[in-house]
Amino acid sequence: MNLHPALIAFFIIALAILSAAISFLTLRKVIYMALAIGAVFIGCAAVYILLGAPFVGIAQVLIYAGAITILIMFAIMLTNHEEMEPPFRWTLRNGASAVFCVLLAAALLWIIRSQAWPAQGGTDINRGRSNPAAIGLELFQHYTVAFELVSLLLVVALVGAVMLAQARKEDE
Amino acid sequence: MDWLWQWHNVGLTWLPFLGMVIGAVIVLLIGLGVVTYEIYFERKVLGWMQGRIGPNRVGPLGLFQSFADILKLLIKEDVVPEKADRSLFLLAPVIAFIPSFMVLAVIPFSRTHVFTANLSIGALYYLALSAITIHGVMLGGWASNNKYALIGGMRSAAQMLSYEIPLGLSLVGVVLMAGSLNLNDIVAAQRTWWFVIPQILGFLVFLVAATAELNRTPFDLPEAESELVAGYHVEYTGFRFAFFMLTEYLYMFAMAGLAATLFLGGWLGPWLPGWLWFAIKVAAFIFFQFWLRATMPRLRVDQLMSFSWKVLLPVALLNLVITAVVKAWV
Repeated sequence: MNLHPALIAFFIIALAILSAAISFLTLRKVIYMALAIGAVFIGCAAVYILLGAPFVGIAQVLIYAGAITILIMFAIMLTNHEEMEPPFRWTLRNGASAVFCVLLAAALLWIIRSQAWPAQGGTDINRGRSNPAAIGLELFQHYTVAFELVSLLLVVALVGAVMLAQARKEDE
Repeated sequence: MDWLWQWHNVGLTWLPFLGMVIGAVIVLLIGLGVVTYEIYFERKVLGWMQGRIGPNRVGPLGLFQSFADILKLLIKEDVVPEKADRSLFLLAPVIAFIPSFMVLAVIPFSRTHVFTANLSIGALYYLALSAITIHGVMLGGWASNNKYALIGGMRSAAQMLSYEIPLGLSLVGVVLMAGSLNLNDIVAAQRTWWFVIPQILGFLVFLVAATAELNRTPFDLPEAESELVAGYHVEYTGFRFAFFMLTEYLYMFAMAGLAATLFLGGWLGPWLPGWLWFAIKVAAFIFFQFWLRATMPRLRVDQLMSFSWKVLLPVALLNLVITAVVKAWV
């Protein structure tokens, strides 16, 4: 096996993501879990950047590691100060979840392995442009309708959130 | 010497890697030096504006005052409150500090881009990383187990999150005009005129939102001394407290660099060398922050949020629409 620097970097990042994910599962204090999920998001961003998609990577940091993790922390801090997860116990539900998780992992692995992936460095995903320019062209030339529909969905969600917040205010 | 000056254009081998490490160390030293004298000049300028002398005891004209203060902070006892969440309390200053130093990587300090990462998404990189600092501030406030620290941390997070949106939108006008998110390209696009002229509306929004992002007067509610003691870092002592202060002043340097790069033409300018022009613009932005602090009273909490959402955001959107229309049809 050829130890390309990118491959070494990938293994280091993957190890970091996995250890953050495992600590997310083993930690019992909810605020630590929020921090661990933030670390997982940042690790995923590092993988995107490694794959030559810095725009997606930075958007991941901005939206997931930034905004969403902060929202989770807000929710935790404003509700219960010493929130702890109860210690783990094997129940029927947990056992079934474990079985399905293993099945899901196997299915994912099977699908990934059965694909014919392009060889390393074989194609330039940005087609010679800078990454944000390539994404913009792709988004507004091939996926215009999907993009507009997604923005419509976001507007609906925004208006819904405003309506909910307003109804709360009238009750008081 | 190619590996030292052009490392961002060649592949990652050992020599460019060494260049990157040297670059990071030098940028760190520059950052620390700037922060040291930012604090000195803040006290000096505030003193002059209030008819006082300011620090004048340590060294000639008090020039070594900040070093004495740093030394004092470093040798102070390191107190961790007994009821605090110990590991988060220790981790929070680190989470706050690391992004404040990382954002300096994309700021083009000079014409030769010696220590500048040529990222294709530089402007977005700044915004994304500065959002990580909010975690440190919030966790520090929460882990202290102190009501003032918690309120300060919450206020800080809410304020920095809501002002990041007008800040980001005010940059989009510049990005549209330059046609690139790369900060080096944005500077190069300002050869005919600085973007502060066509983007004056965006610049004003940027200036207000940047002041709020930096938690400085008139937006210093997170650490309002008179009501919150000192906000999120009230329980911190010694070098952990120094880390929070370092983060704040390093961000002021980075934000000044971003303002100079996006709106004031970066290192562009006649006669003088590029790095000197950049330093002058950065110093002007930092001086403006001190001037504001000496002039403005603090906003009220209830005015703070509505100002961001109801005034700055529509103005930034208006600027974006105008820029897009002008770019498309003129």
